[in-house]
Amino acid sequence: MPLPLSPRLTRRTLLRRLTLAGAAAAVGPGLLAACRGGGGPGAADGDARGSLVISNWPIYIDPSQDGVPGTVERFTKQTGIPVTYNEDYNDNDAFFAKIQPVLAAGKTIPQNIFVTTYWMAQRLIDLGWVEALPLDAVPNAANLIPTLRKPSWDPTGAFSLPWQSGIAGIAYNSEVTGRELDSMDDLFDPAFKGKVGFLTEMRDTIGLLMLADGKDPGQPSYAAAEPSFKRLEQAKQNGQIRAFTGNDYQDDLLAGNFAACVAWSGDVAQLALEQPKLRFVVPESGGMLFTDVMVMPKGASHPAAVAEWMNFVYTPAEAARIAAAVQYITPVEGVQQLLAKDPATRALAANPLNFPDAALEARLKIFGPLTPSEEVRFNERFATIISG
Amino acid sequence: MNASPRSSVAEARPSWPWALLAPGLLWLLLWFVAPLASLVPMSLSEPRDRFSLAVNFTGRLDNYAEVIGQYAPILLRSLQIAGSASLIALLIAYPLACWISFRGGRFKGLLLGLVVVPFFTSYLVRTIALTTLLADQGPVLSLVRALGLDGGLESIGLLSDGRLLNTAAAVVIGLAYNMLPYLVLPLVVSLESIEPQWLEAAADLHAGGFSTFYRVIWPLSLPGLSAGVVLSLIPGLGDVVNAQFLGGPNDRMIGNAISNLVLVQGQAPKAAALALLLMTLMTGAVLAQVRRHGSRELTAS
Repeated sequence: MPLPLSPRLTRRTLLRRLTLAGAAAAVGPGLLAACRGGGGPGAADGDARGSLVISNWPIYIDPSQDGVPGTVERFTKQTGIPVTYNEDYNDNDAFFAKIQPVLAAGKTIPQNIFVTTYWMAQRLIDLGWVEALPLDAVPNAANLIPTLRKPSWDPTGAFSLPWQSGIAGIAYNSEVTGRELDSMDDLFDPAFKGKVGFLTEMRDTIGLLMLADGKDPGQPSYAAAEPSFKRLEQAKQNGQIRAFTGNDYQDDLLAGNFAACVAWSGDVAQLALEQPKLRFVVPESGGMLFTDVMVMPKGASHPAAVAEWMNFVYTPAEAARIAAAVQYITPVEGVQQLLAKDPATRALAANPLNFPDAALEARLKIFGPLTPSEEVRFNERFATIISG
Repeated sequence: MNASPRSSVAEARPSWPWALLAPGLLWLLLWFVAPLASLVPMSLSEPRDRFSLAVNFTGRLDNYAEVIGQYAPILLRSLQIAGSASLIALLIAYPLACWISFRGGRFKGLLLGLVVVPFFTSYLVRTIALTTLLADQGPVLSLVRALGLDGGLESIGLLSDGRLLNTAAAVVIGLAYNMLPYLVLPLVVSLESIEPQWLEAAADLHAGGFSTFYRVIWPLSLPGLSAGVVLSLIPGLGDVVNAQFLGGPNDRMIGNAISNLVLVQGQAPKAAALALLLMTLMTGAVLAQVRRHGSRELTAS
C-alpha cells in the first residue's frame, strides 16, 4: 500500500546520499557553491530567468558522483539557472494527495516541474492542474521519438514531455528460485510461497495479470480485469504473496526475501550491477510499458527556465548520460547511436530493454484509459486486496 | 452576616492562572479540538467529485455502516495484534521494572536511561532496522535454524513457511519492542511508591516471596500496569508503521486502512468515520482506566 512512508527511497539511495554528503563535506564549500551555480552570470535568485524547483522519482537522473558533475550540476553550469532538485516523488497517489489540496484551492505548489506517470498526467490535464508547456522555446523537443508524440494521455502533446519510459515485468533472483522464469504463472508457483512480491502500482500489477489471462489491458474493462483481481486476491489470501511494494521491492530482492516479483526494468538493470544473480524478464504473455513525463503545475513561475531545462535534457548527449545512468528507455532520438559509439555503453545500446526492438515492442502494452467511474472501481477493488 | 467561606474563596481566586493556561488551551483548541470536531461533519459527508477535497454534507450515516461492514475484520485483527504485543511487552516490562525499582540501587537512573536510550533513534528507523534482523537470511532466523528450532516455532505459528518477516508475528514483535518504555516507565513509577517498610511488614507477617508479591506488590502496581497498558495499547492500535514494514498483505492494521482510504482512494469521509470509530474505542478505554485508577500514572510518565 503506498504511503508516504513506503517510498522509492531505498537503502541504496540513502547510502548513496550519505556518500555524496560525505564527499561534499570533504570537498568543502567550493563544491556546494558550484551546486548552487555560484559565479555564473545571472546565477542569483532574482534573475529574470529565475530558478527551478524540480521533483522527480529517486535515482532517476545522472547524479553528480566521484567529482563528476551530474545532469543538474551541468545544467546550472551551462545556463546559470539554480535548481533545487528533489527526489521526493515516491508514489503517484501519495504525491497527488500532497498537491491536491493546494491545486484544488487554486494556489501554486513550489515545483516548476515534476515527473509523473502518464496516467496521472492525464488526470492532471483533465483537471486543468497543469500548464501548457513553453514548447516553442524547446527546439530540442523535436528529438522526441515519434511513437511518443501526441500520446493517448496527452493527445495534443502540449502539456507533457516524456522523461523516461520503462517496462513492468518480472524480476527474480536465480540463486533463490533455482531456475529461470519466463511467465506470470511462475509467480504463482507454490515453491515460491511467501517469497513473491507485487507492485502497489495497480496498472502494472493488474495489467501483467490481464495479459497472462489473455485480456487486453490496452482496452481495460472491469469485467475483463475481475479474473485477474480474483487471482491476485487468492494468492494473497493463501500466503503466496509476501508483500505489495513500491520501489522498496529492491531491498527485498537484494536481501533474498523475494524470490521473484513484479518490477521495473531499469531498476533491475541497476541492481544487477550489485547482485549479478538478479534477472529481469518480460513475461511471455507480455509486459506493461509505462512512460513518466515532465509536467508544469498550474501557475508555475519561470516558464523560460522550465523551457531551458527541457531543452537541456533533450539534447542527445545529455539524454544519453541520463539513459546510461538510469537504464530506462530514453524518449530522445539519437541516444542509441551515441551510446553505441562508446565502448563503455555499447552493450546498453544493443539491449532491447533499453531500446525495444520490433519483436519486443509487439509484446508491450500500455494500460488504457479508464473512465472515472471505472477507475474508482479498479482502485477500490485493488485497495481492498492490498490493504485488507 | 458573613459571606460563606466557600464564596469568599471563589471571589479571592485570582484569574492569572487562566492567562497562563491560555496559550496551551488555545493551541489545543486550534490544532486538536477544531480538527477533531471537523471530522464529525466530514464523516457524514460525501465527496463532491472525485478529485476535489470539497465534500457535501448529506448526513450520510451509511459511511459508518459501510466502514464497519468492510473494516470490522481489520479492526478485530488490529485489536488482536496490538493486544498480543501489549501482553508480550508487559511480560518483559514487569520483571524489568521490578528489578529496576527493587534492585536498581544507585544505578536506577542509569538503568531507566538504558531503557529509554534506543528510543532516541527515530521510530521509523528502528522499525526498518528490524526488517534486516528478521529477514529470511537475517541473523534471527539464521540462529533459529542453527539451533534447530524452526520446526517447533513453525508448529506454534511463530514462523510461517520458515519466515518471520512479513508475518503477523513480526508485527507483534515490532510493536512489543516499540511499546516497551511506555510500559516500563509507569510501572516503575508505581513500584517506586511501594515503601520498603511495607515489604518488611509483609516479611514480619511471615509472607513468603510469592505471597509478598501477590498480596503487596501486585495490587500496588496495578495503577501503573493499567496506565502502561493504555499507553502502549492505544498507539499500538492505531499504528501504521509496523504493519507496513514488518507485516504481510494479510496483516494490515486499521491505520493502514485509514491511510489508504485518504491517500489512494480519495475517500476522506469514510476515513473520517473509521478514524472516529477507532478514537471512540480508545477514549472508552482511557475513561475506563481513569475511572478505575485515576490519571496519576498516565500523566506521571
